[in-house]
Amino acid sequence: MTKLDDLLAYEVVEGLTEGHFTAEEYVISILKRIEEVEPKVHSFITLDTEGALSSAKIIDKKIREKEDIGQLAGVTVGIKDNISTQGIRTTCASKILENYVPTYDAAVIRNLKENGAILLGKLNLDEFGMGSTTEYSRYHPTHNPWNLDYVPGGSSGGSGAAVAAGECTVALGSDTGGSIRCPSSFCSVVGLKPTYGRVSRSGLISYANSLEQIGPICRSVKDLVMILNIISGKDAMDNTSMPSSPITVPNKSNKLNVAVIKELITGSDQEVAKSVFSATEKFQEIGFSCEEVSIKNLHYALPSYYTLASAEASSNLARYDNIRYGFDYPIGEYKWDTYFSNVRENFGEEVKRRILIGSYVLSSGYYGKYYLKARRLRSLLRLELLTLFKKYDLLIGPTMPILPFKFGEKIDDPIKMYLVDVNTVIANLAGIPAISLPIGFSNGLPIGLQIMAAPFEEQKLIDASYELEKVIHIQRRPNSI
Amino acid sequence: MSMVMIGLEIHAQITALNSKLFCSCRGNYRDLRPNSNICEICCGLPGSLPIINQKAIEYSTMTSIALGCKVPDKIMFYRKNYFYPDLPKNFQITQYNVYGISSIGIEGKYELDDAKQIRISRIQLEEDPGRIVYSEGGMNVRNTALIDYNRAGVALIEIVTEPDFTGPKEVRQFLNKLSLTLEHLGVCDTLLEGSVRCDVNVSMNGGNKVEIKNINSFKEVEKAINYEITRQSSVYNRNLNIELETRHWDDKKKITFKARSKEEEHDYRYFPEPDIPVIVLGSDFVSNLKQRMPELPNQRFERFILKYKLSEHTSNILINDKKLADFFESTLKLHFSPTEIANILVTDFKSLIEDDTESTDYLKNLKVKPEHIAELAKLIEGNKISRITAKDILVKIFESGKLPSEVVNSSNSYKIADEKTIMDAVQSVFDTEKSAVEDAKKNREAINFLLGKVMKFTNGRADPKIAMRLINSKLSAPEKQ
Amino acid sequence: MISKEDLEHLAQISRINLTENELEKFPKQLDKTIEYIDILEELASDDSVNLDLQELTFEELRMDEISMSDDKQLNKNITEDGFLRGPKMK
Repeated sequence: MTKLDDLLAYEVVEGLTEGHFTAEEYVISILKRIEEVEPKVHSFITLDTEGALSSAKIIDKKIREKEDIGQLAGVTVGIKDNISTQGIRTTCASKILENYVPTYDAAVIRNLKENGAILLGKLNLDEFGMGSTTEYSRYHPTHNPWNLDYVPGGSSGGSGAAVAAGECTVALGSDTGGSIRCPSSFCSVVGLKPTYGRVSRSGLISYANSLEQIGPICRSVKDLVMILNIISGKDAMDNTSMPSSPITVPNKSNKLNVAVIKELITGSDQEVAKSVFSATEKFQEIGFSCEEVSIKNLHYALPSYYTLASAEASSNLARYDNIRYGFDYPIGEYKWDTYFSNVRENFGEEVKRRILIGSYVLSSGYYGKYYLKARRLRSLLRLELLTLFKKYDLLIGPTMPILPFKFGEKIDDPIKMYLVDVNTVIANLAGIPAISLPIGFSNGLPIGLQIMAAPFEEQKLIDASYELEKVIHIQRRPNSI
Repeated sequence: MSMVMIGLEIHAQITALNSKLFCSCRGNYRDLRPNSNICEICCGLPGSLPIINQKAIEYSTMTSIALGCKVPDKIMFYRKNYFYPDLPKNFQITQYNVYGISSIGIEGKYELDDAKQIRISRIQLEEDPGRIVYSEGGMNVRNTALIDYNRAGVALIEIVTEPDFTGPKEVRQFLNKLSLTLEHLGVCDTLLEGSVRCDVNVSMNGGNKVEIKNINSFKEVEKAINYEITRQSSVYNRNLNIELETRHWDDKKKITFKARSKEEEHDYRYFPEPDIPVIVLGSDFVSNLKQRMPELPNQRFERFILKYKLSEHTSNILINDKKLADFFESTLKLHFSPTEIANILVTDFKSLIEDDTESTDYLKNLKVKPEHIAELAKLIEGNKISRITAKDILVKIFESGKLPSEVVNSSNSYKIADEKTIMDAVQSVFDTEKSAVEDAKKNREAINFLLGKVMKFTNGRADPKIAMRLINSKLSAPEKQ
Repeated sequence: MISKEDLEHLAQISRINLTENELEKFPKQLDKTIEYIDILEELASDDSVNLDLQELTFEELRMDEISMSDDKQLNKNITEDGFLRGPKMK
């Protein structure tokens, strides 16, 4: 039998229901695993051992008393530390929120709890989700479980690494420009950015509201569907959320039309491109049609993304003035605006850069030049993609144009860092769903395939991913730890 | 005389709402313990999202219709970015008119009594900030500000006029009319403390525009304008330039003073609020609302004249005090005698309540109810009491809250219709007022004096018609020897 | 080009103090970023493109009802009277 800590989510629920082990036993196995690998990986910012154990005991009691335990009973979930958890501090990996303990649960957390999931703690990220490596975390960087000298991707790097390292059954991340898919690709796990509006953002600490979604990061497509179905749906606390139908897996499989985005292949490293081609061949082998397409507005996608994301961020992060929550700072010493500037000096460099750029592009005189143009590109890109989706079910390409890289490689050059997001921002701008699926390794470093579908066509994404997962056998647990 | 141009920017809270604009906290924040009417949304906790109040859109649309504005099919919200400790998110969610998107109302016209039209540039729906109380501070407080967020997020309607006013009188007329309209619509109780605020811009002789902020009641507006006109005239007469500037109104000293320029240097960096989708009102929205919208003061005025056959003068008095007009119509429901009841209300009744009309619910607190007035009118019409007695009875009802019939019974105030009793009174008056009788014989005008004496003699209870007849016949009767 | 004055202005409207190190290296870094997003200028300004991604109808909006949570939303710097202490205003 597989080791307890290596079980997939649906296996955990099955095992519990059938009485093979107790929730407490399972949680203890996970906590042991954390104890073992965390000193190397550093996925967590806050670990809630007690909370997890007591939740497990409650589930075991319910099982003994034959009560309903929920669809995710016993599944341990790591939460990206920008998703609000009542009573558990939520830092966004920022010094500004070092002591912030939310008074309410995010909608997704409520959903998870109601379904018997066990919260393990809060996972590392780049400060406020701004970054692609976790190097911008104000606490510590997370290491890639496949090779500890390499970055795990970001910003949900803690989530990607924790799932890959077996420190939790599944994790939640958030994706503003690729923050779920990038670490999923770099850590060889499955990660989905849902259609904009499918999952409530209530309680997700905003970086760029119009672009981001919460999504699951898992070790299998089936696990991912379990989580997605639980967190999806219209929520009264988010005016941008929308109703959706649940996903089924396995589904009556249709033969889908797939198109490879040419620009994403030509812009990638050779090993990455090669791996994507072999995945394409697999698709053909299982009877999918594959063609090549070009996206004409792609060139403007990344500048448009950075304009919009920075603009929204500069406004969203204005609230961190340390008055209502935050760290200790002598309140009587300075006049309010000096006080504000002083306490906000505590943001990290990347956050500051984006706030300044955001203030710049929104300033009078520049609004038309940057912000409006970016909005317009966004609409054009969405239209172009929707037109393509009339002909093709799915658009594919590499999730990341490059392999995972070493710490320090890009941190001093913001533009270099921004460029790694070029493939993933498309889905955020267009509001469409996109998944990253592990498809292979090069020199022991993971490669992910990105599949995109039309709005609310997650079922197609899942069908294709599930079929591909069946034929590509990927090593699940890293050897290095 | 110099040319004056005045424009207004009015903020009226939608006091009619149960809840705030973007959350379910109480709309009525008054008299609550500081920071007890707050939630994660209105105090801007990380991850909370604004959830717009349907009714707020309805009320602001009604206001727009009443002020002759166009209401667009689609509306949007914008963020106005500026830092201030009373602003929990350090941005305000408001509306903005740019790039073809408009606020809830635009291009309105509002007519003053002399048919002069004031153009309304726009009407916006937005959120109120919290309140700052400045403490002078003891040892522990040391010059800190005290903040209360109970008001934060209360719905405000902002009404902006073109600079169409030529003097303070027009402004006063406009504000009175506006208050009345808001009251009729049920949107805003303008008598509540802080429910209406006004910024004014004044320019003279084509000179620079001076903005005056912080005028916290409509009553102060006229004073501020007068002060500003005097100030600007004296600057002008000294051949100096009137500076383009923002000034504040000092409530206590009754002067305007220059704001520190740096504080007013704002670049609001407006951009569309990403957490609130475009709201589609639809083409029928306005026409449907017009159907079920409360009657406006003008419409009511016309109706009073047409349906109740009241004079313009009487109608005007009633309309200008909505609560009195409502009282009038409630009374009519009990006893339909418009002229008599209107007469009681606009004369005796009104003179008795004159001092109290400043408080918001003055009619509710009265002991006199429509039942009283209806019965009083019946007694007058049934010739049971005289109009003069009616006034005394009204005073007694005001004090005791007893019904008119009770008062009349207990004080023996019924009208005297018995000719014998009245004749006795006439005889005594004739006995004591000999010279007046002689006058009356020569000059019929002097009869009224005698009638007055008879009425006084009977404590106003004599039927004046009978008394008059008896006086007349006694005057013309041959004198007894 | 972002001058030191521009940077200071941006920092002022964003209420952020910059460290010596940031003042040193930000102008160049921000320049590069702005240069990068400058290619947006190539896009034509065509107002006919609908920029809105999402719409809500009036009927979908929240009803005007009060629902108060008992949670203490603020727990820091609260005076005995319930006021939140903030920095001095003058």
